Amino acid sequence: MDFLNQLIFIGAVLLFTSIVASSAASRFGVPLLLVFLALGMLAGEDGFGGVNFDNYATAYLISTIALAVILFDGGMRTSIKSFRVGLRPALSLATVGVLITAVVTGLFTSYILGLHWMQGLLLGAIVGSTDAAAVFSLLHSHGLQLKERVGATLEIESGINDPMAVFLTIILIEMISAGEVAPGWWLAGAFAWQMGLGALLGIAGGYLLLAIINRLTLALGMYPLLVLAGGLMVYGLTNVLGGSGYLAIYLTGLLLGNQPMHSRQNILRVHDGMAWLSQIVLFVLLGLLASPSAIVADAIPAISAALVLIFVARPLATLVCLAPFRMPWREMLFIAWTGLRGAVPIILAIFPLLAGLDGAQHYFNIAFFVVVASLTLQGWTLAPLSRLLRLQVPPKPAPVQRVELDIPVASGYELVTYHLKEVTPVVGKPLKQLRLPEGSRLVGVLRDSSFLQSDGEMRLAQNDGVYIVCHEHTLEQLNKLFAAEATPAQLDDRGFFGEFVLDGQATLSDVAMMYGLQIPAELQSRTLAEHLTGSMRNRPVVGDRVRLDKVQLVVREMDDGRVARVGISLHD
Amino acid sequence: MQISEILSPSRIAGNVDVSSKKSVLELLANLIADDTPDLTQTEIFDSLCARERLGSTGLGHGVAIPHGRLRGSKQTLGAFIQLNEGVDYDAVDQQPVDLLFALLVPEASTDEHLQVLARLAEMFSDSELVTRLRQGGSNTALYELLKE
Repeated sequence: MDFLNQLIFIGAVLLFTSIVASSAASRFGVPLLLVFLALGMLAGEDGFGGVNFDNYATAYLISTIALAVILFDGGMRTSIKSFRVGLRPALSLATVGVLITAVVTGLFTSYILGLHWMQGLLLGAIVGSTDAAAVFSLLHSHGLQLKERVGATLEIESGINDPMAVFLTIILIEMISAGEVAPGWWLAGAFAWQMGLGALLGIAGGYLLLAIINRLTLALGMYPLLVLAGGLMVYGLTNVLGGSGYLAIYLTGLLLGNQPMHSRQNILRVHDGMAWLSQIVLFVLLGLLASPSAIVADAIPAISAALVLIFVARPLATLVCLAPFRMPWREMLFIAWTGLRGAVPIILAIFPLLAGLDGAQHYFNIAFFVVVASLTLQGWTLAPLSRLLRLQVPPKPAPVQRVELDIPVASGYELVTYHLKEVTPVVGKPLKQLRLPEGSRLVGVLRDSSFLQSDGEMRLAQNDGVYIVCHEHTLEQLNKLFAAEATPAQLDDRGFFGEFVLDGQATLSDVAMMYGLQIPAELQSRTLAEHLTGSMRNRPVVGDRVRLDKVQLVVREMDDGRVARVGISLHD
Repeated sequence: MQISEILSPSRIAGNVDVSSKKSVLELLANLIADDTPDLTQTEIFDSLCARERLGSTGLGHGVAIPHGRLRGSKQTLGAFIQLNEGVDYDAVDQQPVDLLFALLVPEASTDEHLQVLARLAEMFSDSELVTRLRQGGSNTALYELLKE
């Protein structure tokens, strides 16, 4: 009994410390996951805590659940709209890309270390996939807003590439255990079955779950739990039937997040917490599991594997996989660098241990080191690099809080709260001059803890709390008015999109005439939208820019896949 | 480029009441035409409207910089209006516009045109200037503010 109480106490201390540390870490730009991992190691056998945890089976069970929850939440937060530009490159990276990464890393390291090539491949497969938790948390930290093509590709890739790495790892372990060296054709069948079943059950499960959520009347707190239970059911069933549970639960999440769902904001909020909890538990646990002293003993192979992976295998895989999509070189370079590894390689490295493979401990040590190296090197430099490569777009401001009006007559309506800052555009404006979008109404202004009498002459001030009931379609426009924050000059509206706005349907000849630009005759009759789409040789996204004589055209607003508005920057 | 080179107090109007985008553009065209004998109000208005058809020149935060190029004009000409109450202008932020700086350039000018426009946009992003302009005042007072 005493042991159990100690366990609870230690667990709670670790969780508490992780959460408190996360606040400090985000101030210094340290990747959070690295902090959790470090805390786990500090508490572990070689650290101050001296907790000697090496129960791989328990670690595997807990981390699998945690990973499933993270992928579920990641799916819910991925907008299906981002599939327009991100799905095809992500699919290519998640399949062929993982294979290339695994093979290149594997062959290089087995050559350097004098391992059998099958063992090298296994190591490559273990570290083959990027990590959803790492990618989601790093891409969304510090108000970082990447160009959609890059952000979407990386996010979707991280959501769907784990199954491939899991598949390769399991196959290789089976082959090594059985002493086989020649892969047979049955592999392709097994792969198709895993992915096909995962996709099918994920989508079917999503629809079924959605129907149930929208039909049941429950206490508010029950909805997120219902969703969680449903998601894990899909995951478990798919795995039991031999499909890929990770793929299934990601797709279920994706489906739920993109359909009208009862109590949606409530569900998203709780799952945000669930995902955080999972990340903390997962990384602290994996940190506990590792023995830093043993890892140091494997330092030479670990460093070579990390270097090969980061500087050779991932860039090569990116180059090959993205070649058909003609992405701008800056975006390719960024994707090549952002091959963030996280929990998955460490979890996969437990497989050989559980299977009792020779030298299994070395795989684990090497994989652990690779993850730490990737999170440190890539995680830390990701934001500055995106700035350097000019891949950031102006951040999208958001309300402090959103609550849906969950009654049948108010479908799609929400109550949103804003806290006005000095730089917010509406500050200082009298209420009567405010034009709110149709379908939205200002319901109250709080100042110094009391509601103001709103007459038309009243002016909004810094620190006011503003409450607006609005339809979700009008939210983006409201956010620009009420939530805008100070941004660095290159990311403010004028600095980024240029001085003026043009309609996507305006023709180049009209624009050229207006601004005295020289343009080739064959371009005269094109519209701006056609010109931008044509010159990008790719589906355009917000922030894409093209030079036109002395000015730059910047995609400012997309509508349903079309370029709706274009910024014109008069500076070069 | 100095603002004093393109603007004169006679092409400024403060504390104006109008009800629509069309009438404020007409008023701006009037200000320039009255001051420039070789240009008519109609051709100026048409030129400004032609630009608005390619997309609103409302920059957001209540400011608009309508502009155009004119064959007959010999020099770069500016005009400024401050409205008592904003008009719907289809600006980027959908908010009414109450400060307007119109700019007309000769057809021959190229680079200069772009530089002046960029300069104006930068000038009107200064929230302190914009706040002071909103308080209105006489033509000369507004002129002094803008000249800085």
